[in-house]
Amino acid sequence: MNRELSINVSHFMDDILMRWQERMKEEKRERFFQYMPDEVVDKTSKEFAELMTSNLSASAEVTPEKLKEFAEKVVRFGWSIKFVNKSIEHFSDVTFETLEEAEVINDSNYRTYMKIFSDWISPLRNSIIEAYSIEWERTVSLQKIALQELSASLIPVFDKISVMPLVGTIDTERAKLIMENLLEGVVKQRAEVVLLDITGVPVVDTMVAHHIIQAADAVRLVGAKCMLVGIRPEIAQTIVTLGIELNDFTTTSTLRRGMQEALKLTNRKMVEVEAK
Amino acid sequence: MNMRIPILKLNETLIVSIQWELDDQTAIQFQEDLLKKIHATTARGVVIDLTPIDFIDSFIAKVLGDVIHMSSLMGAKVVLTGIQPGVAITLVELGIRLERIMTALDLENGLEKLHKELEE
Amino acid sequence: MEYGSSVEINTEWDIVAARQLGRNEAKKIGFGTVDQARITTAISELARNIYLYAGMGRIEITCILQGQMKGISIIASDEGPGITDVRKVMDDGFTTSGGLGAGMPGVKRLMDEFNIATERGVGTTITAIKWLR
Repeated sequence: MNRELSINVSHFMDDILMRWQERMKEEKRERFFQYMPDEVVDKTSKEFAELMTSNLSASAEVTPEKLKEFAEKVVRFGWSIKFVNKSIEHFSDVTFETLEEAEVINDSNYRTYMKIFSDWISPLRNSIIEAYSIEWERTVSLQKIALQELSASLIPVFDKISVMPLVGTIDTERAKLIMENLLEGVVKQRAEVVLLDITGVPVVDTMVAHHIIQAADAVRLVGAKCMLVGIRPEIAQTIVTLGIELNDFTTTSTLRRGMQEALKLTNRKMVEVEAK
Repeated sequence: MNMRIPILKLNETLIVSIQWELDDQTAIQFQEDLLKKIHATTARGVVIDLTPIDFIDSFIAKVLGDVIHMSSLMGAKVVLTGIQPGVAITLVELGIRLERIMTALDLENGLEKLHKELEE
Repeated sequence: MEYGSSVEINTEWDIVAARQLGRNEAKKIGFGTVDQARITTAISELARNIYLYAGMGRIEITCILQGQMKGISIIASDEGPGITDVRKVMDDGFTTSGGLGAGMPGVKRLMDEFNIATERGVGTTITAIKWLR
């Protein structure tokens, strides 16, 4: 019976695929079938169909590699898990309808086919969804790492003066990483003054401020001074509104002014030299 | 097993280098020794170098904080030097701020800071 | 693949032994120097609490695996008087021993997971975990 299904499915494959694609295009809020180039849609559809039918014939099995490959692909295309689920559902429906119209499925074998279909689709759906979620988790963790790498590095600008530009939202995990980079950098670069530039930090709430204060405290303990620069008007407003105490800190609005302060602290200043 | 931390005198400054993990007894013994030495030498400055120390818990932090406070009562300024990044982070996360304590990156910087401070 | 070892806390010296064990274990698992400092300090605080409040107890240090995550778990247990008011102990600045009051909330901040189970007159078990990043 399975074999029969397999033969019939491959026989009507083009028909099934066409119908399936049409139905997928009808799905609202899915851009893949609407905006992707036709050949990409065709190729992905074929691969999807292959994956869907791969456990029908005894010779080819759904291998973990194939699943992984497919999951990787659809995650990259930005298919949502809902959409993947819909695809499986539509594929199964379309196949059933096509075979019914071709009278492969008729009243006499209707129940048997129902059973075959459910035995075919259910395990497949499980493994595809599983592969998808594994791939999704992997993508998320990779993105997290990428974000961490972008996190923060301490740049030695002058002798004894280093700058750390902070960009993006700061959560507890990132704050810890920033603090470690900062402190290890200070000791390694033998910086006496570090400028924390928060121009690129969109929101400074109590928690972020707390992390910054902690970092500055730790910097003081290793024997350097920490200055907070790049305080935008709205940040100054939130800091005061929230009642955050930054009194122990030197703060300036711009990195440039902070740098002048830092030079002063290390007994230096910038002078213009006369042009020759 | 009571090891004593050596305290060296250089002009008006005492130099202490803590070379191994402090146990409670050694820490308390050190507190006593340092105060006695300040009294005996009338030193005006102390540098305590902590470079080899890889952690400081709340007890040791308290002993250190106390000894700094006590020294200042006796007229000696203390600079802590060489606190490792991990130690600093741990202290801050523990909630120990060691406020109003002079620190420097290393012994050399510490001596420099101390001299500047004493000149003023 | 979980393995561990433990130190009985009876004297002040055992605090040193416990943190040395912890430091070595943390190093073996692959923690960086900053996390090593966090773990060693947490052990020191927990061991000192046992010594000060319960008189005796033990510190167990285990390398743990959970899925793809690897970490170190510290279990501090004693059969001391127990903690009457856990919430109070977790308040910053609360201390009964004349320390700096960094104690338990401090340890919680140093580690990733922290749990206290205590019963008056029966004892206290504190579990703290740090995950390898």
